[in-house]
Amino acid sequence: MVEDKHTVYLVDDDASVLRSLSFMLESYDFQVREFASAEAFIAAEVWQQTGCVILDMRMPGLSGQQLHQLLRQHQSPLAVIYLTGHGDVPLAVDALKQGAVDFFQKPADGAMLAQAVTKAMQSSQANALRLQQLQTYQKLTPREREILKLIAKGYKNQQIADELFIAVRTVEIHRANLMRGMQVDSLAELMLTYAAIANTLAQSDG
Amino acid sequence: MRKTSQLSCLYLWMLLVPLLSINASVTADTLPVDETQYALVDVGVLAIRGYRDSINRWQPTMQWLEQQIPGTYFRLHPMTLDELSDAVATQDLDFVITNPGQSVLLARQYSLSWLATLKSRLNGGQPMQVGSALVVRRDSPIQAFADLKDKRLAIVSPHAFGGYLTLVYAAWKQQIDLPNTVAQLLPTGFPLDNLLYALRDGKADAAVVPVCQLEQMAAEHLLNADNYRIVEDHTPAGLGCKVSTALYPNWSLAKTSRAGQKLAKQVTQALLALPEQSAAATAADSLGWTTAVSQLTIDRMYKDLDMHPLQAPWWQRAMVWLKEHSQWGWSILLLLISLNAYHFWLEYRFNRRGHQLAQAQRKLSENLVLLEHAQRAAVAGELGASLAHELNQPLAAIGNYCHGASVRLQQGQLEKLPQALQQIDAEVGRARAIIQRLRGLLKKQPAAKQQQLLRPLLLDTVELLQFELDKQQIQLQWQLLGREQRQWLEPVAIQQLLVNLLKNAIDALAECPQTDKRIEVLLDYRQPQQVMVQIQDNGPGLSRDACELMQAFTSTKRQGLGLGLVICREIVESHGGKLSMSNADSGGCLVQLSLSLKEQTDG
Repeated sequence: MVEDKHTVYLVDDDASVLRSLSFMLESYDFQVREFASAEAFIAAEVWQQTGCVILDMRMPGLSGQQLHQLLRQHQSPLAVIYLTGHGDVPLAVDALKQGAVDFFQKPADGAMLAQAVTKAMQSSQANALRLQQLQTYQKLTPREREILKLIAKGYKNQQIADELFIAVRTVEIHRANLMRGMQVDSLAELMLTYAAIANTLAQSDG
Repeated sequence: MRKTSQLSCLYLWMLLVPLLSINASVTADTLPVDETQYALVDVGVLAIRGYRDSINRWQPTMQWLEQQIPGTYFRLHPMTLDELSDAVATQDLDFVITNPGQSVLLARQYSLSWLATLKSRLNGGQPMQVGSALVVRRDSPIQAFADLKDKRLAIVSPHAFGGYLTLVYAAWKQQIDLPNTVAQLLPTGFPLDNLLYALRDGKADAAVVPVCQLEQMAAEHLLNADNYRIVEDHTPAGLGCKVSTALYPNWSLAKTSRAGQKLAKQVTQALLALPEQSAAATAADSLGWTTAVSQLTIDRMYKDLDMHPLQAPWWQRAMVWLKEHSQWGWSILLLLISLNAYHFWLEYRFNRRGHQLAQAQRKLSENLVLLEHAQRAAVAGELGASLAHELNQPLAAIGNYCHGASVRLQQGQLEKLPQALQQIDAEVGRARAIIQRLRGLLKKQPAAKQQQLLRPLLLDTVELLQFELDKQQIQLQWQLLGREQRQWLEPVAIQQLLVNLLKNAIDALAECPQTDKRIEVLLDYRQPQQVMVQIQDNGPGLSRDACELMQAFTSTKRQGLGLGLVICREIVESHGGKLSMSNADSGGCLVQLSLSLKEQTDG
């Protein structure tokens, strides 16, 4: 991770809103980067950073929602907070369904926005962790994933060997690789991570 | 009263001649005559003292003529002035005998040849007999006409010829306006004796009498001639009486165009042959006849005094006419009165109507102002969303700066606060500008015209509409052709005009599904007297006739008042221009309008 975790990305076509938000958020010790349009943000290629994106809904060119969609396509961990000039309630509901952390109407209350940003930062970190775990899981071989599934079901090494018609020794080697690959030290840790991943997998399947 | 008698009365007074009444003892009874044996000669004579007097005076002369010209019968026709004129006009007469005053009148009107003039008994047989004497008391200081100034002058009548007018003329020749010089004119009327009695009794300072009046009264021992004196004595040699004026011809005889030359010659010879002491001469108060004397002196006198019978003062002629045609006079008077009344009535109506019109116009213009304001308010309402957005931006920014600043204050980070305050100030300015623009549109009274450029107003209006344009993703482009120049514009009205037209274009484009939405504005200063403005969109174009759309309360919009274009036209016309709408060749609506570059006289 190159950037500081507390970076806020501001995307708004109105320069004065951009500057004033930046001034306010900086007073809360957030690091702020300003973008005058969605296109400028895309050009910066910060998809994989953690942090918070504050998006103006209506902008010339790409709109806020279009940029949000791009973020999801890029599997970006960045959390999204919407700002809009006048409250479009249907738009807001839609935005929250699409995974936005919060939704503010201009002029936004500074303290509440700062709180929301803090929450978004945490959300983004969680996103980043989950995505990282998912990536790790996706790096496992099919055999390793099968063994992980059985471990999660509470099978012992012998039972797994019997189930899969392989040698216990082979199970042990796979299990060691598995622990290393998933960057965990204990069975309990492995189980927690797997639970989180399974949840994500179930969501993406559903 | 018959009109003729009235008229003759008038002239009798005017042409009064002093006559010594000597009744001829000749009977005027006409003898029975066989007309087939005798040549009939008609002689008209002016009867100034009644018919009987005339017959007494002239019948002996007729008889003398009959004796001298065998085979003739002279028929005497005493006539009034009018009758005499009419008879001459209708050729009923062969000869006319009349006094000097009337002779002028007749000679002017008809072709008359003057044959003989009566010789005066007073003047040693001269044909000149008529004139006046200005008599004063012997001790009077009056020595000339000029001395009559502010004196009382006794006269027989202002129209008397021999007794007065001849003297006025003599004074006139000395550049003295006698009637206006004397203090008072005392008309004493007949008998003529009254004139000198007035002088004797001191009722007058001077008296004008016909020639020989004084001498005759002295001869009759009515006065002592030594107590009196004649002023401006112009007595010609041989005249027995003193006279202050020139003498004018006596009565004359003339031939009309009916009488033959031969008869005229015979009559003239007969008259000239009349002995001085004959009965006929005596009856006519004369010494017989002599050759005709020129009437020119009398004619000139009347003309100079502006009293010529044919040049009677207009009021006299009008009076005569009026008396003759009294029914017309009354009708004209009535007409004049009713015309006058009608005139005043019309004027009254006109004033009242004018007042009402002015009031109506005032009301109308008040209503127009209200209407324009209502429409502007409606536009402002339509722009509400846009304005809320516009205002929200600076408010949001200000809020952000304030919050950020207070957080920094708590943390003691002061270094960036001045910058924040500057930014707040800038944002407040931005909000103020937006409100300013809106306030212009909401003003109740349109501001007066000022000299300015059109472009800033256009840009301001585009600013107001920017949000709408962005929302509909419309590209607005504008272009300037020629050299722009300042002109008299009413800023609020022009902005209202542009808002209306641009909003129409935006609304039209909002309804259409295409992605490339454009509005093109063109300011064309290439014509000398006016700037042309074109607003073209690439929307669906006009769905109804442009003329229909420019009428009040016609709208294609569901919520439209139908006033926008009416007011637009009103505004354009008040700037000396024209507004037209059409469908562009490339599709879409094209609005063209012109605004005069010269100052408009009306507000």
